[in-house]
Amino acid sequence: MFNLLRKTYSQIYDQYVDKIYRFIFLKVNSPEIAEDLTSEVFLRGWEAYKNQNKIKNRENEIKNKEIKNIQAFLYQIARNLIIDYYRDKGKAQLVSTENASLADLNQNLEEKAILNSDLDQIKEALANLKEDYREVIVWYYLEEFSIPEIAKILNKSHSAVRVMIHRALQALKSLLVSQK
Amino acid sequence: MTEKELIFQLKQLRTIKPRKDWVVLTRSRILGLEKDRFFLGGLRIFPLFRFFRYKLTLAPIISVLIIIGLFGFAQQTVPGQLFFSLKKITETAQISLSSPIEKPKLHLKLANKRLEDLNKIAQANEVENLLPAIEEFQMNVSRAAEKLARMDLNVTSSDPLVLKEIVQESQKLEENKEKVEASLGIIVGDTEELESALREIEKQTAAYLIKDLENRTLKEEDKNLLAEAKEDFEKENYSRVLEKIWRLVNYQ
Repeated sequence: MFNLLRKTYSQIYDQYVDKIYRFIFLKVNSPEIAEDLTSEVFLRGWEAYKNQNKIKNRENEIKNKEIKNIQAFLYQIARNLIIDYYRDKGKAQLVSTENASLADLNQNLEEKAILNSDLDQIKEALANLKEDYREVIVWYYLEEFSIPEIAKILNKSHSAVRVMIHRALQALKSLLVSQK
Repeated sequence: MTEKELIFQLKQLRTIKPRKDWVVLTRSRILGLEKDRFFLGGLRIFPLFRFFRYKLTLAPIISVLIIIGLFGFAQQTVPGQLFFSLKKITETAQISLSSPIEKPKLHLKLANKRLEDLNKIAQANEVENLLPAIEEFQMNVSRAAEKLARMDLNVTSSDPLVLKEIVQESQKLEENKEKVEASLGIIVGDTEELESALREIEKQTAAYLIKDLENRTLKEEDKNLLAEAKEDFEKENYSRVLEKIWRLVNYQ
């Protein structure tokens, strides 16, 4: 039973580790902090995952501890950890232009430089974007989550999510214009 | 930038990924620890099997000894060999546990080690291991440059020894690299990024220290040394500036 749990959670880890790391990195802009927070997300996720499975095996136990959507659950932990991080440490949101290993080896150097410069600007703008807006942009455009998936994570209606995505993109565009 | 272009650029951010070795290490840290805890928990559940407890406890002890042995053996391996990943785990852990000030120096030390590995590979004629070793060397040089670029000027200027050690390690790297390239007859990598990062931090530190020393009361001899350092700064010879300042503040 335990091995099965580990195996399943290991698959969940492989499936989401890049996404959760990216989600955190685009906020904190530091690979070290993103690594620390990501490992904390999966550690807390594992504790909860293992416990809910223990509960499942017993009769007459509280049902509401069951994780209904692991994706939403992991992102929720990540969101809470980011909030905790900024609240506890009172960190200023440093904007760095490093660390994205952008690999398109076919591009020539000039194109690559232009692309990197644009991407740095986008990263900077994303880090400065309102929390909700940054999240929906990452989920919808980067991770290509569907509207229902995002609605589940945010616990909002589909139409509210649609509106939020539209506003978020406009806000990002304005930030990029103001940066220039 | 149009909306379409912006969306295209956003999708490019998908290339942001965590380090592969970190992903593996974290997975085993989260799930591996739990396995041991579960095993010991099992002993509490079945008290009737106490007799077997001692025999059962031997299993983890033997496993630990085997793991220690494997890690020890792995230290002798070179990139491309079977147990090199174990050696890499040790090195990664060492870097992860070190302070941000120490990280560039450790990466440079590792790059130097990879050059030593390249020598071993050349002597043993293990051609298939050349590429992994070169990749490991380049990766460490690039990481060192990355960490150097992010070094805090307050740290390097308050403790110039930190920078001095990095400079020494970097010089050693250049010498070893030249030797390896000469013996192998191939270019093992470019250190331009590293040199430029090092030069930048040297420049900033030198400027900071000169400014600081100008505001202090110095002996005549020290004033001359500072004047020479300033001349070297104008000639953009920052290493020499730092050498003189180190001499001036008795770090040597």
